Amino acid sequence: MAGIELKGISKSFEKNEVIKSLNLMIENGEFITIVGPSGCGKSTLLRIIAGLESQSNGDVIIDGREVNNIKASNRDLAMVFQSYALYPHLTVLQNLMVPLKLRRMSTLERFPIINWFFPNRRSKIDKLKESVLQASETLQIEHLLGRKPGQLSGGQQQRVAVGRAMVREPVAFLMDEPLSNLDAALRVHMRAEISELHRKLKTTFVYVTHDQAEALTMSDRMAVMMDGEILQLDTPSEIYNKPASLRVAEFIGSPKINVLPAESNEKGDIDCMGISMSLSIKDNKNEKILVGIRPEHTNLLQDNKKNCFLGEVNHKENLGSDIYLHVTLKDSQQKMIIRSNPDISFNTKIGEIIRIGFDNNKVMIFNESGQNLNKKS
Amino acid sequence: MSNTRSHIWFVSPAVLLMFLILILPVFVAGTFSFTDYNLGSPDFKWVGWKNYESLGKFSSYKKMFTASLTYVVIVVPVSVLLGLGSAMLISSLRFGGELYKTVFFLPVMATLLAMAYAWEFTLDPVIGVINKFLDDGCSVGWFYKLFTGSWLGFNPTESWYGELCNDRMPNWLGNKKYALGSISFIGIWQAFGFNMVLYLAGLTSVPRDLYAAAEMDGANSPWEKFKLVTWPMLGPTHVFVVTITSIRSFQVFDTVEALTRGGPSKSTYMMVYAMFEKGVKQNLVGMGSALTIVFLGFVLILTLTQVYFINRKVHYS
Amino acid sequence: MKQLTNLGSEAGKHIILIIGAIVVILPFYLMLSFSFKSPAEIQSISGGFFGAQEMMIDRKCLKTESEGLMRSKEECSMLPIVYNYKAAFEEAPLLRYLLNGVIVTLSIFAIQVIIALPCAYALAKLNFWGRDVVFGLVIFCLLIPVHAIALPLYLMLAKFGLTNTFAALIIPWTISVFGIFLMRQFFKTVPDDLINAARMDGMSEFSIVWKVMLPTAIPALLAFAIFSVVAHWNDYYWPRIVITGDQDLMTPPLGLRMFKSDMDGNEYGPMMAAATVIVAPLVVAFLLAQRRFIEGITLTGMKSR
Repeated sequence: MAGIELKGISKSFEKNEVIKSLNLMIENGEFITIVGPSGCGKSTLLRIIAGLESQSNGDVIIDGREVNNIKASNRDLAMVFQSYALYPHLTVLQNLMVPLKLRRMSTLERFPIINWFFPNRRSKIDKLKESVLQASETLQIEHLLGRKPGQLSGGQQQRVAVGRAMVREPVAFLMDEPLSNLDAALRVHMRAEISELHRKLKTTFVYVTHDQAEALTMSDRMAVMMDGEILQLDTPSEIYNKPASLRVAEFIGSPKINVLPAESNEKGDIDCMGISMSLSIKDNKNEKILVGIRPEHTNLLQDNKKNCFLGEVNHKENLGSDIYLHVTLKDSQQKMIIRSNPDISFNTKIGEIIRIGFDNNKVMIFNESGQNLNKKS
Repeated sequence: MSNTRSHIWFVSPAVLLMFLILILPVFVAGTFSFTDYNLGSPDFKWVGWKNYESLGKFSSYKKMFTASLTYVVIVVPVSVLLGLGSAMLISSLRFGGELYKTVFFLPVMATLLAMAYAWEFTLDPVIGVINKFLDDGCSVGWFYKLFTGSWLGFNPTESWYGELCNDRMPNWLGNKKYALGSISFIGIWQAFGFNMVLYLAGLTSVPRDLYAAAEMDGANSPWEKFKLVTWPMLGPTHVFVVTITSIRSFQVFDTVEALTRGGPSKSTYMMVYAMFEKGVKQNLVGMGSALTIVFLGFVLILTLTQVYFINRKVHYS
Repeated sequence: MKQLTNLGSEAGKHIILIIGAIVVILPFYLMLSFSFKSPAEIQSISGGFFGAQEMMIDRKCLKTESEGLMRSKEECSMLPIVYNYKAAFEEAPLLRYLLNGVIVTLSIFAIQVIIALPCAYALAKLNFWGRDVVFGLVIFCLLIPVHAIALPLYLMLAKFGLTNTFAALIIPWTISVFGIFLMRQFFKTVPDDLINAARMDGMSEFSIVWKVMLPTAIPALLAFAIFSVVAHWNDYYWPRIVITGDQDLMTPPLGLRMFKSDMDGNEYGPMMAAATVIVAPLVVAFLLAQRRFIEGITLTGMKSR
């Protein structure tokens, strides 16, 4: 078990800079998720930690030891790949044995024919087999040990891939979108299993994904990464509720946050398209700003109140527990998504004009360049 | 689908030709192999298994099997390993890979008969550059030491090269000791580029993630990664490359006919050449037919082995 | 440090590959070089690649007459390179050989396509009684190498008095089971809807094959063309069996063989000039369209896939 520290890591391919002087401190035993859109450099970052890719600049420090010039095989990390990367010609048992054999037996002991001259080779292999059996018990894949990867379902392959990482008892687990090849239902199930595995092993997990739901549900802390930079590093609830910038707010949360143009007057009161929001800010007075309202912080109003938007329903998404209404605001033609209680909106019709209220305390305020202004107020 | 009878017009010419050109000849050869037929004579006698028996009896046929098998046993592994080696080297290059690929593929393209003559002149004892190069090497100190092994403390005059230096360079195609080796060398020269291209295709289909996984699993050296990933992942390519090279080297003819005619003293007397010599040149149709049937048997065994391996051993998915 | 070792290993790989490339190129180099040099230079292994190109006298030319007079030495002196190539074209009907090569390879390819394409279409897209049997037959025939049955084929052709004809050179190759197999696999990937649409438009099955399927199959057909042309341009075994003596029917490799056995003494130069002319068309075409050629010649790799 070990903490991982990244200091000023940057990486360029040709002239294209994919990671820009990035710092990250991962605590010992922590489950950290790096989440970002595809192409943001998160997989490259993980491969740099693993040692599969070398950084252009900066240091990788594992357990207090600088490992820049240490090969992937000697960093004592384990990785679960998106494609699982199981050896198709070996059985599950052999696949799980590979990392143990490569580490615990010398080259000569593994060399064909020469290895006959090592008397205790058998007992060594038996010992390794035992630890494989233990790991496969934990993952409930004992019945698959004799099969080849090609004969397994996606979920089973995924378990074997995790198993291969587990048997070695590495100082940290690196996972590169391990669930993205599974179907939706299985993905939700495996999310819970991986979290549970982390609680059981208490080892450091570095988990890379583009799926914000995985990041929000599984991690102790998450790092939102875009264009080679970490925009925010915090617990999932902090990031969801207090995004540092508009980009983070827009990336995390589904459906996407509603962003509306507004302005502040000389007193700092905020007016959004003619509606006074009874909110005020101390700085940035007399400025054009943006307000962000998450769909679940809006509601459908039955009676005419002062602070409400008027909009026409374009589309209705009924998810059973919630109904999402896609609305075009009356005067400004701005689009919004509203979450409403099915009890209230079950007979709302397309084309109907509705009144939209919102939770004042949950409204986020950003300046024009996207910085969150709430924190200052 | 279609109610018309057009398929008859589409299929029947091909089926007819398959019977006439591919299947009927097998039966013709099978039949004639039990006779003493020769072209031009009005009748023939049935001779039973006599032709097949002579295959086991006469020393020239024993030499034929020895030469053919030796040729295959030399050419197949060497050209397969050279193909694999060059493919791996080329695919790991940062630049220039395409150029080597082009050069190594040239012999596959070029008319083998013409190139056989070019090799004949290259290996010629009088005007050949190979022997001139070796001759000149005798008087170049480091070259002489390297190839006589005297830098390892061996007696230089007892080594192969040292003896040649004192005597004269070999007649590569005219000497019984070297002829089969020289023909095999040309066979390897011609075949390995083809294998290289197949291996290059095989290598690109190995998932990159597997190499990364092997590294994470602790495979330190290139050798470990080769053993764990490259070699097994090329399984289907191995099977195909080995079979096609075997079948092709069984069929070697051009170089033998043009350069040695099976000699000297039958050291390069190979099956297809024997078939041609007996059946066509000497008009011993019965004997030639028996050779044809035996040859077909060899090829069939090779192909069926391939099919077996493809279906059983190397099927990963 | 790491970059330095990387550079070192890259350089090492290049050294190994360059040594290999030298061995591979060697006979090509010598073939070209011999075709440039004078007999004296060839005999003494001197003159580098191109030779000194000193004027030489063509002895045969001296013996011939023009307008009743023996030719003078001036008339008969020329550059070795000119002498070699002139001899190659004059002493043997090299142009005739090349023309024969073109005729034979193109006729073989054309007939192969005419026979194989409809059959492949029927096997891929038509439902008829016995289709699986026919396909099985194709697979079975893939096992028979034509080299192996050359002798009985030769006997059959001889029975019909067809040896020493163009027909003998072409007939055994008219059926390409490999071509049928290849095109069938390709046609399987063509959507049925395309064919059904053509039928709705009123096309006959015959015109579907040639007007709908053929154009979609151009890339596969091109690869097959290269495969077929290269194989038959270079083929020596079969022409050697069925053509005996008649120079007007000889294909390039057989002609070269003839040239060699007629060669008096040491006409290495003209001999290699002829070899160069025969090898050149395919090698040049290969250099111009490498990717297609490699694809075409390794097509046989598809048999096992």
